[in-house]
This record gives sequence, C-alpha cells and structure tokens, in this order.
Amino acid sequence: MSKPQSIAERLSNQGFNRRDFLKFCGITATVMGLPPAVIPQIANALEKTPRQSVIWLSFQECTGCTASLTRAHAPTLERLIFDHISLDIHHTLQAASGEAAEQIRKQAMKDNQGNYLLIVEGSIPIGNPGYSTIAGMSNKDMLMEVAKDAKAIIAVGTCAAYGGIPHAYPNPTGAVSVEELITNKPIVNIPGCPPIPVAIAGVIAHTVTFGTLPELDSLKRPVTFFGQNIHDRCYRRPFYDKGLFAESFDDEGAKKGWCLYKLGCKGPVTSNTCATEKWNAGVSFPIESGHGCLGCSEPNFWDAGSFYKALSVPTGDFAQTAGYALAAGAAVGVATGLLNKKKKGDAAKNHETVTINDLDRKQQ
Amino acid sequence: MSAATFERGYKAFKEQIDAPIAAYFSSCVSCGMCAEACLFFTETGDPKYTPIYKLEPLRKVWEQEYTLWGRLKALLGISKKLTDDELAEWQELIYGSCTMCGRCTMVCPVGNDLVYMIRKAREGMAAAGHAPPDIIVGTQRAITIGSATGVGLPTLQAQIRRIERETGMKIPMDVQGVEYMALLSSMEIMSFPEYLEALAKIMKYAGKTWTLSSEGFEATNAGVQIGVSEIAKELVMRIVKAAEKLQVKTVISPECGHAYGAIRWEGPNLIGRPFTFRVQHILEVLDEWREQGKLKTEGFEKARLTFHDPCQSVRRGGVIEQPRNLLKMVASHFVEMEDHGKMNWCCTGGGGVGAIEEAHELRTKAFNRKKTQLDALKVDKLVTSCANCRLVLEDGLEAYEMEMPVMGLTEMIAEHLKEEGEMEKDKGLYRFSEN
Repeated sequence: MSKPQSIAERLSNQGFNRRDFLKFCGITATVMGLPPAVIPQIANALEKTPRQSVIWLSFQECTGCTASLTRAHAPTLERLIFDHISLDIHHTLQAASGEAAEQIRKQAMKDNQGNYLLIVEGSIPIGNPGYSTIAGMSNKDMLMEVAKDAKAIIAVGTCAAYGGIPHAYPNPTGAVSVEELITNKPIVNIPGCPPIPVAIAGVIAHTVTFGTLPELDSLKRPVTFFGQNIHDRCYRRPFYDKGLFAESFDDEGAKKGWCLYKLGCKGPVTSNTCATEKWNAGVSFPIESGHGCLGCSEPNFWDAGSFYKALSVPTGDFAQTAGYALAAGAAVGVATGLLNKKKKGDAAKNHETVTINDLDRKQQ
Repeated sequence: MSAATFERGYKAFKEQIDAPIAAYFSSCVSCGMCAEACLFFTETGDPKYTPIYKLEPLRKVWEQEYTLWGRLKALLGISKKLTDDELAEWQELIYGSCTMCGRCTMVCPVGNDLVYMIRKAREGMAAAGHAPPDIIVGTQRAITIGSATGVGLPTLQAQIRRIERETGMKIPMDVQGVEYMALLSSMEIMSFPEYLEALAKIMKYAGKTWTLSSEGFEATNAGVQIGVSEIAKELVMRIVKAAEKLQVKTVISPECGHAYGAIRWEGPNLIGRPFTFRVQHILEVLDEWREQGKLKTEGFEKARLTFHDPCQSVRRGGVIEQPRNLLKMVASHFVEMEDHGKMNWCCTGGGGVGAIEEAHELRTKAFNRKKTQLDALKVDKLVTSCANCRLVLEDGLEAYEMEMPVMGLTEMIAEHLKEEGEMEKDKGLYRFSEN
C-alpha cells in the first residue's frame, strides 16, 4: 500500500493550487462559524493530516442521504472533502461486493484501529433483525463490531439520528437510532431527511482540524448548523410578523409568497439551516418552493400529526376576537381612568386647607 | 379651627396621587438599587431604609384606590387598609430618615423620582398630623415669626448694624429699582453672618446694585419641608411680593440648597404663575461674574481641601460646575471626593432631618459615610455652599472627633478678592488658568 497522502498533496495532484486550497480552508472556517484567525490552523492541519479514514455503513435507509451528498454540482466544499477523505467502505457506492467487500471493511478497521470515523446512515432494526442484514450479519451486530474501534460516530440523516421513518408508528421492525445502542462513543447527529450536505462536510473538517467534535446541542446536533430554527431565518418571516398568511396553496396569499404557517409549516419548531444554506447549490429550500417545512430533521417528525395542520391556530375569527377584546379593554381602561379622575377630582374639590393650626392632633 | 386627623391625611394622599406617581409605582421593578444609594441603608444595613419602602403608605393608597387589582384585593380582604398606626410608624421613614437628597433617583433604572414621591407623601403625613413635632413647631414659627429657626427681622437688623459698624460697609435694605435682591437663610443670619458680610463685599467689588427686603428675606421654606403646599405658597409669596414691590431684576438665592430648590423650582408651581424676575443661586451669579471678568482674586488657599456638594443645589439644582470653577480660582490643593457632583453623598441633615431631634442618633450613624469619604482624601479643610450642610457637617465632625474647619465658598471668594488698586497693574496676566 502506498504511503497515505495528505489532503493538500491530493489536491495538488488534482491540479488545485495553494490558493485554491486556502480558499477552501477559508470557506470551511466561514461555514463552521469560526473566526478568520483559525484559517491558517485549518490549512496547517489539513496539509499535514493523512486522509481521514471513514467507514460508511448503510442500514434501514432509502439512500437519500447518500444521494444528497453525492449529487453533482461542482466544485463544492463537500465534494472536496469527500474527494479527499479516505472513504474506505461505502455499501452503496463501492464497486466490490460479497466476500471482497467484507474483506475491505475488516482491513480498513484493522489499519485504522481506534482512528477511523464511522458514519451511519439508516436506523437499526432490533425488533426483528431479519428485516435488514448485510452478508448475513444483522445491522446491530455490524454496528457494534465497527463502532468498537471507531474514533467517533456521525449519525447521518433522521433515521440514524432518531429512528426516522422506519421508527414511525407502528414501527414494525423495532427500529432504533444509533445513540440508543451506543453509549460509550462520541456521537454527532446530523438529522434531516435528507440532511444538509455541508453539515456533514463541516463536521468532518472540524474533526480533522481540531481533533475534537464541534460544539453540540442537547440532541447532539452541531450548534453551527442547528442552532437556529428555520422560522427565525425564513425570508417569509416578515409576512408572519404582519399577520399575512396563505390560507390555501392556490390563493392570493400563496401567490404573493405570504407565510405558510396556517398551511402547516413546521419552520417555527424545526432547528436546521435550510433557510440559509438552502438546497441544490443554493437554489432554494422547501418554503421557497411554496411548501411548508415538514420538520424532517426533528425527532418523531413523521408521527407529529398532519404536515398540513397548523402548529396552533386561534379559534374563530382572530381579527374580530382581537377587535372585541381590544374594544372591551379600552372601555374598561377608559372607565377606570374616568373613575380615578373623578376620585382624585373629588379629593381635590373637597380639599381642606391645612394651616399651621391643623398640623397637630390636639384641638387648637 | 380644627385638628389633623387620619381621614384628612388619607384624603390628602388620594389627592396627591397624580399621573407621575401612578407611573412611578407601576414601573417599580423592586430591584432594590435605591437601597444601595441611600446612606441610611448603607450605614445601618437595615432594609426598612430602602427608599421605595419608605413610600409604602402612599403606594398602598395608590394600589387600593386607583388600581383594579388593588381594589379587588382590598374588597376581598387580601390586602389590609392603611391604618393610623402605620402612618405613625412611617414618620421615622418619611421624615426622620429621608433627606430628600435624591441619590436614589439617580440610580433608579426606571427613572422614578423618589424625592417627588416623598414630597407628595409628606403632604398626606402632615395632614394626618404625623409630621415630627420639631418640624411642626418650625413651620408654625416660619408663619408667625418669619423663619423656622425663630429668627425674625429684629435679629437680622441687629446683625446688619454689627456688620456695618465693623466693616464700614452699608447693607442696603428695601431699596427700590436695584438689580439684585438677596435672600438669606435664617441659619446664615444666626450662625454664619460671614455670608452676609461676604455678599456685601462682593457686591461692592463687582459694582452691582442690590438690596435686602424687610418683608421677604427668609429663603428657606418650612412648607416644602413639612409637606403643606398652602404654607409653602404663603412663604414663597412673601418673597414674590417683596421682589415685585422693589422691582428687582434678579433674586439671589443664598447658598442654602433647600432654599434654592424651594424658590427656583417649586416656587412658580406653588403660586401658579411665572415669576416676573429671575432667580439665581449665589454661586451661579458669582460664576457669571467670574466669566465676565468682574471677579478677580489673588492668593491661594494652601490647605488641601475638598468640596461637599449640597444635594439640593448640585444634584437637584444643577449648580455643579460653578462651585468648581470658583474653587479653582482660590484653592491650589483642591481634590474631589470619590462620589462628587451629582452623585455626592448627603451631609445627612437635609430635608428637615437636621431639625428633628429624634433623628439625631441615626443621622450621626449615617455620617460615617461622609467620614469615610473624608478619611480617604486626607484633607485639612472642607468647603461647602450651604448653611444647613455646614451646621450638620460641623456637628458630624465633632461627633467623630475629627478636627477640620468647614467654610462657606462665598466667604472664601470674598477673602481672596483682589484689591482694586492692584487690578490695573496686573492686567494681561492669565492667572485663572493656574491650578
């Protein structure tokens, strides 16, 4: 086996010059929300680090996550990263099959023992393992075997992170997420159905550069990408603030691009970066295409009721109710004000002059 | 005629509650920052001296009379009605431990003017007969004799005769059509007649025409102090009538900070119309003349000295830079206390506290704040510009056995006036820039 090349060496072999490389480092820092001062650090780390060994396991999944990551629009950050990590095994993408494929997995685990990253796509059936096996091995057994010597695990997609659609009621396979089975390894969840590609690339770049995982929230999601909800970053937010809503998918409001809240948009309760990173090389994201957010990157999104039911809508005619409430409030306010004014006025009218003879309690 | 009763007091509280009071009470966030700003709290650590707590009776009336929830609470018996005993208990807080210095107002994050509130609360307390006896007596004297301390015209006339005899200067009385009419604080007449002498000397030096009035010379206002607007109005009217009769352009408030606030800020509101004359604090007048080059001094005070800011003229009155400009003319070692200017600490005797016998012990304890300030500076001399502050400071210094002379700023300026003959040959020298 030839000496493993560093990312920088690989880039230069492919005709990228140093300027391209530094630009790439700059983009990585920006996407990760890191200060410009760390760009040289990233460059230094990537230049010296041999390509990170990555083992990608696919369990109960639709391959949508892989498709999302490999779709062609070049050159992108994720493309660069995936060209330059050592993706030693990927069930869907590899050419090898059968015994040969299993041999590669075992070899990669042996060569990079304790140092490889494990990426998991799909949920794991533990109710009946027969639903998903690879080379006669249950998903659970394979996960446990590969996870044992992994440096860290990245659960890609909602299935791996939270169980996803296989986990949805009635969950016939007994599907569970990675973190439900593995408790002794660092885990990063990058949920989404599918997840935003740049989030995966960013986490890998961070791990290679700093040797640690990025900052995670309570659901083990990288804060950089999942720190804000879609609603707060949505370009339709001003309409929400003004109370301008589309009532159906073909009404005037929908045509004018008003807020889709009443049509069931889950943007307010979904933490993801779709509204800023967007999809398909920044073309658009679901809301921009006229459909509310499904909340696909949230746990149990499939069981959270209809996609078209608004999160909460005031009963009756909101404007009318609000109008009555306002009028009633104003009336009470005015009445109280008048009453108070009269009370103070009466007190002033009945004012008894205080002279120096009135200052004592004794009768003067 | 009649006597003070709880009912009269309660009615007065109701009458006093206006939009600012309602706004202040509803904006209070109970943060307690006013406590840290009050020397009665900082020097005792007793939470009852928290400024906003001193207003509890007024707050109760506001809540129970003017708010929906308060009325409901009172109706259901959840909150108790204000009682006479409560007012008696609060006398110490509304009069005895509030100098109306306004330091709390400066730190209030929602901008509540607690002095305004105390002033209003005192109206209710006075009508209910819960003003301290010393303050009641003082107020009665102010109306019958002419000043809270009992100093009347005969005393003033005696002092004038003495000054005229000793200095050869003439102190003008009841002269019509002059530019300035000067007011005095009875404490100046009695305890610090040096002020009147200094004033006469400076007037003569600056070549200004001025007079005193036999009908309105007392500037302090016991009505403001006790919280009875009718009495305050009557006392202000004495000055207004005198000034209008003599047709003066400007009335000069004496150094006394309380007197300045009473005539300049409360005055027109009390009588319900603008004055036909201007009111200026003596230090404003002196600083104006300094700027115009009418006041030239010579020599410097050698002692290391500091300036005690009287709350009412500095923080509440805005006369902040003037005393400093003047001090720099005559003092070579002038140092500032850590909290000075508009954030100064009170002398502990303002707002009538200095006159309340029962408050003496607490006041002396609170004076520790000033002692700490002075100890930190290691000064030899204390300058101030308020007769009341000066009396209280001297009292406090004595209680803490601190040897330190206290001097009025106007007198200090008068002492350093440059002899007229020398003024000519010194022209062109820029001594004012020296520090």
